Amino acid sequence: MTIATTAENTGAHAPVARRSDWLFLSTALAAATLLVALVLIDGQPASAALVVLGFALGIAFFKAEFSFTAAWRRFIAGGEAGGLIGAFLLIAVAAIVIVPLAALVPNFGGAIAPLGPSLVIGAFVFGIGMQLANACGSGTLYTAGSGTGRMLIALAFFIVGSVIGSLHLPAFLALGGVDPIIAARYLGPWGGLAATLASLATAAAIVAAVARRRGASFIPSRPILVGAIAIGVLSIGVFVFGGHPWSVTFGFTVWGGKMASALGLDLASQPFWQWPGPRRALTDSVLTDTSSLTDLGMIFGAMAAAAAVRPFARADWPPLPSLIAAALGGLLMGWGARLGFGCNIGAFVGGVASGSLHGWVWFAAALAGCAVGIRLRPWFGLSRE
Amino acid sequence: MRLVYALVLVISLAAIVFDHLGSPSAGRALSPEDFPGACAPCGAPCPSAQIK
Repeated sequence: MTIATTAENTGAHAPVARRSDWLFLSTALAAATLLVALVLIDGQPASAALVVLGFALGIAFFKAEFSFTAAWRRFIAGGEAGGLIGAFLLIAVAAIVIVPLAALVPNFGGAIAPLGPSLVIGAFVFGIGMQLANACGSGTLYTAGSGTGRMLIALAFFIVGSVIGSLHLPAFLALGGVDPIIAARYLGPWGGLAATLASLATAAAIVAAVARRRGASFIPSRPILVGAIAIGVLSIGVFVFGGHPWSVTFGFTVWGGKMASALGLDLASQPFWQWPGPRRALTDSVLTDTSSLTDLGMIFGAMAAAAAVRPFARADWPPLPSLIAAALGGLLMGWGARLGFGCNIGAFVGGVASGSLHGWVWFAAALAGCAVGIRLRPWFGLSRE
Repeated sequence: MRLVYALVLVISLAAIVFDHLGSPSAGRALSPEDFPGACAPCGAPCPSAQIK
């Protein structure tokens, strides 16, 4: 299944020789080194650590072929739950550190978000987009980084969509909602952790029961297990050095905002860009934004990992309908990520690993969106499997 | 596809360096959640704060 997914993204079906592409391998290493040097010159070792952790995440995702999108599609289409349970394991690993540290240690905080129409609509639209693009936020980063040209297009439209979403988010927030509901606030740090782990175990039991009823497997494969633990541990590292759980899509919004501003668009007057965090991100260096640091590291990590084992970006471009799906999917994901407070990483993994209820709401809404997206895939020549 | 990647890579790296050298960068890296009043990873305010 993973091979089929990769082939869909690349349009490549012929086997490729296993040899290093020294040009792109050395370029990826040089680019990551350049970023590390730039932030170290400014005396920011924590920023350098975030680039390195992002680089390692890119390698981990590439090596494990860890895909939220394929896992969710396999569950919806055939009941196979191994990938979903792998994602729950990843979150459990991260939660063990994030829930107590966010509650007990000053300057650390969880990924929280309000509950309301914006969250539900955004996550649902994101779910549609991730099935059309064939990747989520982290998936887009590592597949684009690893030489999949189709995902380069998805990433470009992801960035555009997230800027459009930033313009719409305040209006959707005005529809109403309730403040974040965080387990540790009601149950204390350790009670909150216990509740978080219990919610993950319950979810795993439910999807395993569904898989069994549909005659499908619910045991994660070895690469999924190893990948989940590795990515979970690395996401703890991002939390320790960044002060907040790993997030992906705010970086895309910042990149798009800076490009739009460079083209003369007056984003600074828009409500979203007047909030303190986005306002600072728009004016300060892109290398002072935590999600941009890990995003860039992840792209170069995946590029290095891919170029180390095969000729880089040698495949033909996929057919036009597949490219249109990538563009449309990227656009929907970008818009949905802004309204839904993130992607699989920032909202689902980060939210649940912080004991925030919005993570589970996001998961349910995005899963429903995925069901719609899977039905749309054949329109673009993509399989439903 | 390699040529497209090479172009995107060169332009992106140049843009990052240009942006970094031309923008404030002295402080530690932040996320929008680090600012007072942030209620989401993007820095959105809480619904209770919007009502006030």
